[in-house]
Amino acid sequence: MVMEASQQNQQTQQPIVRRNRPGTTTKEFCQWPDENFEEMDSTLVVQQFIQQMIRKDPSNVEKLLNMPDGQDEGVWKYEHLRQFCMELNGLAVKLQTQCFPATCTQMTATEQWIFLCAAHKTPKECPAIDYTRHTLDGAACLLNSNKYFPSRVSIKESSVLKLGSVCRRVYRIFSHAYFHHRRIFNEFEEQTFLCLRFTHFVTKYNLMSKDNLIVPISDAVSEIPGESEA
Amino acid sequence: MRIINRQDIDTEMMDENSLNGAQNQIGVGQNRVNNIATGDKVNDDPSNGNAQNVQPQYTIPGILHFIEHEWQRFQAERSQWDTDRAELQSKIAVLLGERKGLQTTHSDLIRRIKMLEYALRQERIKFHRLKFGCDPPTIDLTQSPDEQALANEIATDADFPYSPVTNQMWERGRARLQNYLKEIGWTETIIDVRSKCTRNLLKLGNAEQEENINPNVNGTETNNKRASESQGMCSQESSEYDNESNFYIIGRDQPAKKSQQAMADALLLDTEAAVMSSFAFLEPADVEMDEEDYMGDDMDLVTGSDIKQLKMKTKGVIVNDDDADAEAEEVLNDLNRLAEGEDANMNMVVNNQRINDGSMKRRVMTGMGPGVNDEEVDSSLGLGELAELTVTNESESTYDVNNSKESYRKTWNAKYTLRSHFDCVRALAFHPKESVLITGSEDHTLKLWNLQKTVPAKKSASLDVEPLYTFRAHNGPVLCLAMSTNGDQCYSGGLDGVINCWNLPNSNIDPYDSYDPDVLKCSLEGHTDAVWRLAVNHTKGNLVSASSDGTVKLWSPQSKLPLLNTYSNETEGIPTSVDFVRDETEKIVVSYKSAVSIIHDVETGKPLLKLTPNGMSGPTDPSKYINRIISHPTMPIIITAHEDRWIRFYDVNDGTLLHAMVAHLDAVTSLAIDVHGLYLLSGSHDCSIRLWNIANKKTCVQEITAHRKKFEESILDVAFHPTKPFIASAGADAIAKVFV
Repeated sequence: MVMEASQQNQQTQQPIVRRNRPGTTTKEFCQWPDENFEEMDSTLVVQQFIQQMIRKDPSNVEKLLNMPDGQDEGVWKYEHLRQFCMELNGLAVKLQTQCFPATCTQMTATEQWIFLCAAHKTPKECPAIDYTRHTLDGAACLLNSNKYFPSRVSIKESSVLKLGSVCRRVYRIFSHAYFHHRRIFNEFEEQTFLCLRFTHFVTKYNLMSKDNLIVPISDAVSEIPGESEA
Repeated sequence: MRIINRQDIDTEMMDENSLNGAQNQIGVGQNRVNNIATGDKVNDDPSNGNAQNVQPQYTIPGILHFIEHEWQRFQAERSQWDTDRAELQSKIAVLLGERKGLQTTHSDLIRRIKMLEYALRQERIKFHRLKFGCDPPTIDLTQSPDEQALANEIATDADFPYSPVTNQMWERGRARLQNYLKEIGWTETIIDVRSKCTRNLLKLGNAEQEENINPNVNGTETNNKRASESQGMCSQESSEYDNESNFYIIGRDQPAKKSQQAMADALLLDTEAAVMSSFAFLEPADVEMDEEDYMGDDMDLVTGSDIKQLKMKTKGVIVNDDDADAEAEEVLNDLNRLAEGEDANMNMVVNNQRINDGSMKRRVMTGMGPGVNDEEVDSSLGLGELAELTVTNESESTYDVNNSKESYRKTWNAKYTLRSHFDCVRALAFHPKESVLITGSEDHTLKLWNLQKTVPAKKSASLDVEPLYTFRAHNGPVLCLAMSTNGDQCYSGGLDGVINCWNLPNSNIDPYDSYDPDVLKCSLEGHTDAVWRLAVNHTKGNLVSASSDGTVKLWSPQSKLPLLNTYSNETEGIPTSVDFVRDETEKIVVSYKSAVSIIHDVETGKPLLKLTPNGMSGPTDPSKYINRIISHPTMPIIITAHEDRWIRFYDVNDGTLLHAMVAHLDAVTSLAIDVHGLYLLSGSHDCSIRLWNIANKKTCVQEITAHRKKFEESILDVAFHPTKPFIASAGADAIAKVFV
């Protein structure tokens, strides 16, 4: 279908229509030719651009974080974080099958800290799976809040500051998965490189202190300076 | 008049679309002609086949046949437009009639109010006479002939016993007013808001009066310049009215010392006046259109006489209140000053009038005819309060007009904004009874929203809702949703090929409750590729799914072996959408990638009937791609939404194309129909949702721009609540909206 369409497009010189019509197969989903950042004219350009690059090669962390010229950095960070939280749903789905309240009664990574769930009026010691779900739900609410992020084109400086705490909280999901459900973590990381990307992201934009980045990231990228925190 | 314009524009737009379509067709035709020359291969015409690749495929008869065919199609479309036009015209006539009726009511009400005012004045005089034993020093009415004529006219009306009648009439009038307001879409709240404003105004009485002097003068000056715009007038008139209401207070207040009562009365009056003024927006439009010349003149006259009234009253009050306390005196002084100012202005007005002697006579003539003049005077008085109103209405005047046009129909407004998804919202499903909505998104999750649990959003009319529950199990975007008949379960299909059955949590659940794995009841596995459409048979509870693995499957989600049957069609390709044929539960209708829809027998899986869009140019026509297929809940009709902007209606019994319409500016993506089958809702990548009256002539009743684009996608799903007045739209901008 896509092949046909693109051939016809070449013949008739019509613009490419980037749509996932009903009946699109999993393989074809979103598999349209890239669009230049400059040519995108929607208000969701940054999301479109980031997703387009991830689809191409999720492991190319440097390229993913390479911000186009003239892009507002606040929006850039915000859209990246949205994308991270969205993809973390995938990790949560996997954790739901293995991380039970009976076995992981607390949100822990190493023995050093027990994390309290900030979704409640008074922070409480939720089981790890609840912590994961609540943190993702809370992040979804905050990042979609009309109060702090009314626009996806420009973001107030005060709201950009909120991104750091979201990063800190969602990172604990990675660390819990890494230290307690290593198989799931590895499986997920092989597909998405999400933790790798996330670590690069928070390091590049200084959204978390390096001491908190406790998940060692794979050798393939360890040569990049500043990534040896373990 | 604007109503009509709007509709015209709508039809024009539609016509233009079809014309564009037509042009495209012609373009194709030309291409073909060119292709003859170049010998290019064109695939999409079946009649010519591909047998002779090298030789030109087009013969003269072929071209002629094509042209003939196109001509016939244009004729058919043209006759369609003609009927549409006739319909619209008859609708215009009806609306005009309606407006005339409303205008009559309006003027009638105004007369009543005038009468009541007069009666009140009489009552005050009577009161004064009782208290002081002498007539209040009335300024001779002979001063203004208009006034006297007016007074006489009213006196005859108001001669009968005063108070009980007033109360009755007052109440009746009020009820009628409220009915009327409800009809045009104004609610009690507006009246309340207005009365609140009035209350504020009265609290700040003194200050207000001071301030009012300036706009007053300005207003009159504009008059003198004979600017026919009503703005200046309005501000003047409005302040005048304010002053008047203050008179009432003072008049009663001082002697009786019942300030509370007086306040309340004045409030009532003012509120009514405000309400009156809100009608007035019908009036000025009319006047402006028809008799622009008259208007300026009449207004001048009105000002003159009103100022006289005002002055008269002012003096009356002053003499009345010899024993008033200092504070009141101050107020009165202000008023007096005001009146003097007015007096001067009035002279100017009078001069002005003399200059325009010729037209003046005409005015006086009409002025003498008591009824007409009375109404006109009053309508301008009503217009007074309109000052601020017109300003605020201006920006959305089309909307208001629209509102009054649809007074007998419901107008949908965005009320709830559902933001919490990170990516395109692909699917919507309402709970059959409760105000609960479930959304499915490309961010791999489903969310449950209770529309009764809202977060108050500041400075906007729409409310934000936060999701109560997030359903996580899909390993990929969620593409479709369906709700079970009783609302206990919902089904979701995803790009991962899995159909999940969910037990709906309680609609009052704490969003941060602990995880309950039982919410995911079961997964229906069987499809090997994306599941794009689910539909539930409400009598049997069966579920049918359409997947891009080329199959349609029938499930019984409650049983141990849920998969009942699988249907596939090699020739038509991948199914794009599916629905049960509502009036015959043993049939499903499936739309295929080939733009053909087929009705299958559920038991045998045999294709029973083929629905083909007219003018199909080949076995597969990507432009006519079917994005959604639904069946009418009560009638044997199948409706399809196409990529080529059309919505097509088929007869279930014989497969004929009943009706086809260009419905949007871009691909139509989604359809929903209300339970009664009267209204059709369509969503499109042109960012708008449209509501169609399909019971009657299939006209577009409302269009709402609802979502933004992500890539070339905008609106991905629409839904009607089965029992409550909600409609919803889901967008590629990660937001869902609910309209009431």
